[in-house]
Order: sequence, then structure tokens, then C-alpha cells
Amino acid sequence: MPASFFHHLHPPTVPARQARFRYTLGAGGISVFLILVLLLTGILEMFYYIPTPEGAALSVQSLTYLVPYGGFIRNLHYWTAQLLVVTASIHLLRVIFTGAYNRPRRLNYLLGLALLVFVLFLDFSGYVLRWDQGIHWALVAGTNLIKTIPLVGSSLYSLVMGGSGISEVTLIRFYAWHIFGLTLILIGIGVWHVFRIRRDGGIAVPPPRIRVDGQRISRDELVRREIMAAILVSVGLILLASFWPAPISAPLDTTVGTTIDSRAPWFFLWIQQLLKWGDPLIFGILIPVALVMMLALIPFILPVKEPSEMGYWFPSTARPAQILGIFSVLALLCLTILALVGF
Amino acid sequence: MNRLWITLASVSLLVALLAAAWTYARSPQPVALTPSLTGQTEYCLTCHGDLPEISSSHPVNIFGCVSCHGGERLALDADLAHSTMRGGRNPSGLTVVKASCGGDLCHSGVPSEDRDHIQRVLTSLQSTYAGAISQVLYTYGAQPDLTARYGIFALQAEQISSSNSLSSLTTFDPGSFSNAPILNFAENCLNCHLSSDPLPGEVYARFSGCAACHTPTSGEDLNQEFHQLTTAIPYNQCDTCHNRGNYDLREMEFRPRNDQPEDRLHDYYQPIAQFTQCEWELDCVDCHTRKEAMGDGNLYSNQGQVEYVRCYTCHGTLNQPPLTRTITDPNDIALRQAFLNPVVDLQQGDNILVTEKDEPLWNIRQQPDGSFELVAKVNGTKYPLPLVTGSACKQKPDQQESKYCHACHAVER
Repeated sequence: MPASFFHHLHPPTVPARQARFRYTLGAGGISVFLILVLLLTGILEMFYYIPTPEGAALSVQSLTYLVPYGGFIRNLHYWTAQLLVVTASIHLLRVIFTGAYNRPRRLNYLLGLALLVFVLFLDFSGYVLRWDQGIHWALVAGTNLIKTIPLVGSSLYSLVMGGSGISEVTLIRFYAWHIFGLTLILIGIGVWHVFRIRRDGGIAVPPPRIRVDGQRISRDELVRREIMAAILVSVGLILLASFWPAPISAPLDTTVGTTIDSRAPWFFLWIQQLLKWGDPLIFGILIPVALVMMLALIPFILPVKEPSEMGYWFPSTARPAQILGIFSVLALLCLTILALVGF
Repeated sequence: MNRLWITLASVSLLVALLAAAWTYARSPQPVALTPSLTGQTEYCLTCHGDLPEISSSHPVNIFGCVSCHGGERLALDADLAHSTMRGGRNPSGLTVVKASCGGDLCHSGVPSEDRDHIQRVLTSLQSTYAGAISQVLYTYGAQPDLTARYGIFALQAEQISSSNSLSSLTTFDPGSFSNAPILNFAENCLNCHLSSDPLPGEVYARFSGCAACHTPTSGEDLNQEFHQLTTAIPYNQCDTCHNRGNYDLREMEFRPRNDQPEDRLHDYYQPIAQFTQCEWELDCVDCHTRKEAMGDGNLYSNQGQVEYVRCYTCHGTLNQPPLTRTITDPNDIALRQAFLNPVVDLQQGDNILVTEKDEPLWNIRQQPDGSFELVAKVNGTKYPLPLVTGSACKQKPDQQESKYCHACHAVER
């Protein structure tokens, strides 16, 4: 088969053992595919979305109910975005649990971590664009957190909100960040991230002199596996989008209270739970930032010490990093469950 | 990765796409309506296309649904579409009525154009319930006279044009009284004002707000669908409150009437009352006027200060024929009322009866031979109107209360 442009994006061969699904979990590749789906569905949504306070929620309703397959496209965009948070997180964990963050991939690890943070920002800004009653509480509570940051808090708040509270400027700011600013940053860092994979020598494996398993597969096989994963993920997304509609509610009315749905989007429930316990600066800003900082430091303070362990799950010389990863996951899961049961 | 797996995955992708197409095909085809009043397309008729038009004066192609009901006009999901409806299924409840039925050209306009229905209704005793409240408070020593001080809701009068009218009412708060009968009254007897839910039972079945009277529901199960507004209000709709059951003043409990009326003669009013033929063959709205029922903008202390139509209003007295008016103004309120309930083909130039407050009794019109004919508003039955003037009636001119008329004209039961 003659190699297409898409084939040429891949190295001619990759190590067979580390190209297996049970090693990569496919999470990075699936995330790239999900981002492409998001770009496509997002562009389609832009043909109907009206970024004004009066028009936003109505245009979402109009898209959802009246545009042929508009609801389906919106549901796809929604479910793809939710799934991206999951696959990007799984990808991060896979990298931590296989020690793939080791030198020379430390920079790319940081790029990946940044991508995850921007994915969360993109999810939140997209959620806000619904501009309906369902997002009211999270918009108020989420942005009020910014105010608690010492020195720069209030200026940062004005920068994000475009004023001293929710207004039409707020909507256009979130709109511009979502479809333009954050998306460009995500694409930029994302391309850099993928480029760095090749530059760093492909998937992490032991150095050639101590490699025991020299088997490799061709990029044709790799591309087939990628297409297979894309098809299966598409099946899942299409079924989700067909039978479970994305949340929607009546247009935002800032003159009434925020009691209708006082729950953060699911990926921020853990922060909402933390906020119940005390000072918003500490629990809402510093602890989440500390978590990201801690994850960012892993390659620098907890590297895999034995190169022959590279390319395998749970290298024994990096146990502390794995414990940290498990601890973080459990903590976030527990906090999320506590928030869900309303503890 | 062999071809079989790729093929299987592709087939499942095809199945998923077919499932997406199937769910889309199952979703309702939107039915659009762009009412001329708002110019904003709404899709309520996608599900509600089988509803009858609510009244000939609110055609759906002009008003649509949303201008009265609120709701999300673009949503095809029932929960979302209904989530912002005003007053749930009844947009005429008094807490939302201004948004639903109000507007300068609708029902909260200026009095000079007779479009101040909402302002008047809010002041009416049927809304304030001030009469019953002041009566009970006075009876149990909680206030020194029968002048009303409290209403179901606080209200400041916008006009004081009668010697009896009050400047304001404060909210009746049972918590500020310790007297057991007053507390029982608050507990058991606040069922018959325009903001209350009715007592359980089909004879009491009515909505609140405007729909309490203008949507006939008496004898029906309130859970079914009603979509009607009318000014042809049958007497039994009034009976949902004015059914002449009794309030036991010792226990402060409602005692439903326990007779078993089999015909309208016995259904009408309570068993001990006296009344004349016209009082049971006609409907309440044939004689009682809009300002009696819906208020005139003043706050009053009791029904006696409000009800002013008497036998002589239609029948005249020995030396005074009933008051009349020849319709000359094409905007005469009588023509509008007859348009809403066209049992009479009322025209400019017609001579109709009017009350002493100049309210038209537009369904009583002078015939070519000089006599008057009443057309019943609810069923269109025609009745010749006998006049006292020129008859052999033995009434004394200063005895015009109904009890004097009943002395001779009461119907035997």
C-alpha cells in the first residue's frame, strides 16, 4: 500500500510491545481523534450559535431542536468533550504509571499536563456558552474564585468577566476564549506535543543496548489500529449522542437566584467539594494548583532510575511517583463522590 | 489486526449511524407558528396542535401561546419547554397575571378605555377577601368595627372614589392572632378567594385568578385539560365558591350543604333562601355587572358596599322606568362585550338598559314595539322583560330591597 500523508505522520516502524493497546491504552491517540471531532462539530455549531445574552440560549435551543441533526451534532460535541477529559486523564496516568515522563520526555510531559489544564478550561468555557440557568451557579462560583487570588485577583476577574459581574461582555469573552484563544493554544501545544513524541524518539522504550525485545510493527499496522480505535470510539460517541442528550435549560436570568442547579460540571465537582471545607483561596485555588505543580514535578524528582524498566507498566524504581498518582486519583474520585452524594 | 475486525467495527459504525438516523426520524417534526402579535416563531403546536382555540378574542395566529403562557418557545423537549411557563398550567393566577394577561392594549391598560381589568380585579373583594376577614376579626373582638384592615395580600389603593373605599389593606397574617376561632378561620376558611386552591370535589372545581370564573370547570375533574376563556359564565361556575354551603361560626369550619338538589331550582342558592324566577332561570352574569364581580378599582370592606344591582335596575319602579342608553359610540364598551359573547347582534343605534353607575346591561335591548328583551348570556334564551312601571304592582316607592319584591314574587319550592 503506498504511504499516504497520514501514514507519513507516523514513524516507519514502532516497537511491537509498546504499540500494544494494553500498554498505551490508546488514550493519547484517542484524545487526538476526539479533538478533531470537537473541532469539526464545534465549527458546525458556530454556524448557529449567537453569542449575545438574549440570543445564546435560544440559539442553542434552536440548534438542538430545530436544525436537522443539530441536536445530534451538539450531543456529539458535548460527549466528545466529556470523553476527552477522561482519555486525557487516562493518558496522563498511563505516562505516570509507565514512567514515560523520564528524560528526554520531561518537556513533553509538561506540555501534556498543560494540555490537560487547557482541556479543562475549554470544557468549562464551552459549558458556560450554554448561557442558561444550568450554568448560573458554576459561572458565579467558578469566577468568584478568581477574586480570592491575592494582589491580582480582582484585575484577573475583570479580565475574565469583562467587568465587575456577569454581563454581555462576559459572554463574548468566554466565546472568544472558547472558539479562538484556548482552541488555538490547545492546537499549538498539541502539535508541539505530537512533534515532541517523534523528536524524543517515539514511544518510551529501554535504550537499544539493553533492549530485550527487538520486534517492531510497520506504520501500516499502527494506522490500522488507530483507525480501529477511531471507529470504536465513534460508535460509542454516536450511541451516546443519539440516546443521551446534552444538558440544556431555560435561558440565563441573572436577576433570579442561582439555586436551580447549584452543581459544578462533573470535572470540577472535586473543587466544589473542597470549597465546602474552608477558605476559597486555599481550597479552591491553592490546592488544585498544588496538585498540578506536584504532578509537574514528578519527572524531576521521581524519575525511573533503571533504564531497562522503561516501556513497562509500574517500573519498580519509580514507586513513589506511582503512589502519588494513585493517591491523586483516589482523592479526586472520593471528593467527586462526596460532592455527588451531597456530603 | 486483520480485516475481519476492521469489517466488524465498520459494520457496528454503520449500525450506530442507523441508530442516530432512527432517533432523529422518531423526533417530532416541528410545527411552527409565528403569531402576528409577537412576530417570534414558536413551536408549541408541535405537541399542542389539537388544543381548541381558547376564545374567539384570543386567536392563536395572533396571540400564539407564549405571550400568555410563557415557556420556551423553541424547545421541543416537554420539560424544558414548560420550565418557564407562567403559573404552570394557569397563567392567570394573580401572582403572574400582569405578565400573562397584562399590557396597555390587553388587560392592564387605562380605565378610560376599560382595559384595567387586572388593576380592578386585584382590588375586588374576590381577590382581597377583605369582607370575610374583617367580619370574622370583628366577630371575635380582634377589631372594633367592620371596616376592613386586612386582605389576602397587601394592597395600596390607586383610587378612592367612593365614600366606603379604603386607602390600603395589609396582609392578613394569622400568626399575629392568638384567638382560636381566627386561627381556625385561617386554617379552614380561606378557600374561596382568587388566589386560593379550591376545596376538593367537583362542585368546587375551579382554577385561580381570571380562570376561576372565565374558564368553566364546575362539575369537572380539574386534572383534565381545559383551554377556554369565556364571558358567558354559567351560574354553577359562580357556585364553585358561592355554593351556599355554610361556615360554622363556632367551629370555624366549612359545612357543605347536605341537601341533594335534583334540578336547577333547588341547586340554586341554599335551601332556605327566597328568590324570584329570574334569579334561578338566569345566570348570575345576566344581572350582576363586571364592576360588581371584578371590582371597580376601590378597596371595599364588604360585599354590601359593592353589590348595587337590584330588581329595579332592570324592572324600574312604579314611577321610574329603568335607565337606558342609545349606543352611538362605535367604541362603546357594550359593543365590545357583545362581540365577546355574541348572543345579541348589538348595533349602533340600539337602545339598551344601563345601571345607575352607567354600566351597560348589553344583553337587554329595546325591541321595535318599545318593550325590552333579555337574552341569556350563557345559552341565548330570550326573555321578555316585564316592567314595574305602569303595572299593578303594589310596591311602596321607598321599599326597593329584594325582600319586598320576594314577598310577592318568590318562587314556591
